[in-house]
Amino acid sequence: MSEERPPSDRHGERDSQLSAMFDGELSAAECELLARRLTRDEALRAQWSRFALIGAALRAERGVILHERVAWRVQSAIAQEASYGDASAAEGSVAATARVPVQAAGVPQATTSRWMRLARPAFGAGIAAGVAALSILWLRTQEGPETMLAAVPASETIKLTPEPATLTVAQTAPAEPRSTRGGSGEPERYSTPAPSSQTSFAPPARLANYVVAHSEYSGPLARRMALLGIVGNEAQAEGGDANAAPNTSDKPAGAADAR
Amino acid sequence: MRGDLAGRSLAMRSSQRGMVVRFAVLSLLLGAGIALGAEPQEWLERMNKALTTRNYVGVFTHVRGTRAETLRIIHRVRGRDVSERLLSLDGSGREFIREGDELTCYFPDTRSVLVERRAPDGPLLGALPAINDGSELVYEVQGGERQRLLGRTTRLVSLSPRDEYRYGYRLWIDEQTSMPLKTQLCDKSGAVIEQIVFSNIDLPERIPDSMFKPQVDASEYRWLRAERIQASNASPALWEAMRLPPGFRMATRSSQALPGSKEPVEHLVFTDGVASVSVFVEPRKPDSKTNDGPTRFGSSSAFSTVIDDHQVTAIGEVPPNTVEFIANQVKATKAAAQGMGLAPTPRRK
Repeated sequence: MSEERPPSDRHGERDSQLSAMFDGELSAAECELLARRLTRDEALRAQWSRFALIGAALRAERGVILHERVAWRVQSAIAQEASYGDASAAEGSVAATARVPVQAAGVPQATTSRWMRLARPAFGAGIAAGVAALSILWLRTQEGPETMLAAVPASETIKLTPEPATLTVAQTAPAEPRSTRGGSGEPERYSTPAPSSQTSFAPPARLANYVVAHSEYSGPLARRMALLGIVGNEAQAEGGDANAAPNTSDKPAGAADAR
Repeated sequence: MRGDLAGRSLAMRSSQRGMVVRFAVLSLLLGAGIALGAEPQEWLERMNKALTTRNYVGVFTHVRGTRAETLRIIHRVRGRDVSERLLSLDGSGREFIREGDELTCYFPDTRSVLVERRAPDGPLLGALPAINDGSELVYEVQGGERQRLLGRTTRLVSLSPRDEYRYGYRLWIDEQTSMPLKTQLCDKSGAVIEQIVFSNIDLPERIPDSMFKPQVDASEYRWLRAERIQASNASPALWEAMRLPPGFRMATRSSQALPGSKEPVEHLVFTDGVASVSVFVEPRKPDSKTNDGPTRFGSSSAFSTVIDDHQVTAIGEVPPNTVEFIANQVKATKAAAQGMGLAPTPRRK
C-alpha cells in the first residue's frame, strides 16, 4: 500500500536532488531521472529559471568559477558554441557569445560519457545554459589584488541603446555653476575652454613622445584621455601643426631604429 | 526498519540540501544589499578594477569641442600580461597597441612607428594613481544614485575638484559590470571639457591575438624605438619639485631614452590619486628653438620652461595652471647642477 507524500516533501526532495547534482554527488541514473522531470515539470523549470536569474546577478558582482565537475558538464553540453577564443574569428565580426567559465582538468572520462549521454538528448544547448547559470550558486571567488587575472572570465555583452545626438558644444563658454545641472546629472551646456592666446606649441613630435611616456603612469581613465589627444586629430586643429607624431625627418638620437 | 532508515536518510539529506540552498540565497541577498548600498567611492574602485582586470572590446565616441571621433578599444588580461589596443575608426588611422611592457604607436600619416618600452618592474597597474583618504581632501566624491543610460542601469558618480588645480569626472558606471559607459571630463565649474560614450561593449572570455594586429602594414614605416630605464635606488635625486599643488605627491621617477634626445630624459611623476603630472627634464640643445610656455594637447596641458640650461616640460590631464606651477617649481639639486652622474646608459633591445 503506497502513501502519497505531501507536496512540501516532494519539493524538498527535488531541491535535494538539484543540490546533489551540482555537488557532483548524484548518480547517473538519478541525473537522468531529474533531467526527464525537468522536461515535463513546469514548476521545476520555473524554479530553475529563478535560480538562474539569481546566479546571473551574482555573477555580475564577483569573479566566479563553477564547481569543476558541474562546469565540465556544462561545457560539454555547449561545446559547439563559438567564442572569442577562436583565433580564426574575424575582427569585424565580434559577437558576444555566452560561454561558461570552466575547468575541465581532472574530470574522469567515465563521468564524461555518463553526462554526455544524459545531456545531449534531454537538455540541449539551451537547457545547458540554464544549468550554467544555476550552477553559479556553487561558486567561489577567485579574485586577489596581487593576481591580475581577468576578474570575470565569462563572456558578457552590454547591449546599449544609442542616445540621440543632442550634444551641443561651444568653443567658448562662461563658467557654469554646478547648480545648473539637470536632474539627470547632465549639465545644461557643454563647453570647451578656449585656447589661451598666449599658448605656444612645443614641437608636436616631442610632445607626442612625452604624452606617450606620461600615459603609462596615468590611471586607466586619464591614460585613455591622454592617448586620445594623439590618436585623434586634436593637435592639427588646435596647434595648426600638421602632425602630432614622431619626427622622422632625421634619425633621432637616443632612439634605436628597430628595423 | 530498513525503510525507516532510508526515509530518515532521505529526510536528513533533504534538510541539508534545503539549508545549502537557503544559505546560498541568503548570501546572495546579503551581497546584493551591500552592492545596493555601495558608496560612490566604492563604485569608483569597482570601475578601476573592471577597467584594468577585465577583457573588453568596445566602440566609443569621443567628443571634444566641435569634433567627434569614433574609436575602438580592445583590452585583454591574460595572467599578468595586459594587452590593449586603441584605434581611430574614422580619423587619422593612428593606433596604439600595448602588449606587456611595450607600447607601439602607429602613425600612418607620417609613416612612422614609435615603440616605448616600460621597465619590466615598472609601475604598470600596481602604482597607478589610487584614490585614498588624501584624495578626498582635493576631490569631492558624490553620487551613486541609479540612472538609466543607453538602456542600462548605471550609477552616476561625480568626482569634483575642490580647487582649480585639477579636473573632475562624471561617470556613468554600469551597475552590472562596473564598466564606465559614459565619461565626462569637467572643469571646476562643472563644464564638460570632453566626453566619451560607448556605443557597444563586449566582455569576452577570451580575445585572440589576431585582434592586436595593426590595421596598417607598417613594414615600410620608419620604426623608432625608445627604452626606459628605471632609476635605481642608489641614483642621486637630480631634480625635484620644491613645492607642489595641494594633494600632489611624487609617485615615481625614472631615466629614459626618448627619440630625439642624446641623453636620457629625467622623468618625474606626481599624482593626487586621480590625476597625474609628468615632468621631463633634458639638457637643452644649443641650437634648439625656445619652446617655453603653455601647450594644449587634447585634454592634456603642458608647460615648458628652461631651468639651469635644461628644458623642463610638465604635462598631465590637469588645467594649464597646474602644469605651469609644477614646471616652475622643478629645481636641480647640487649634484645635477654640477653635472655629476647624470645618466645611466640606456639599454637597447
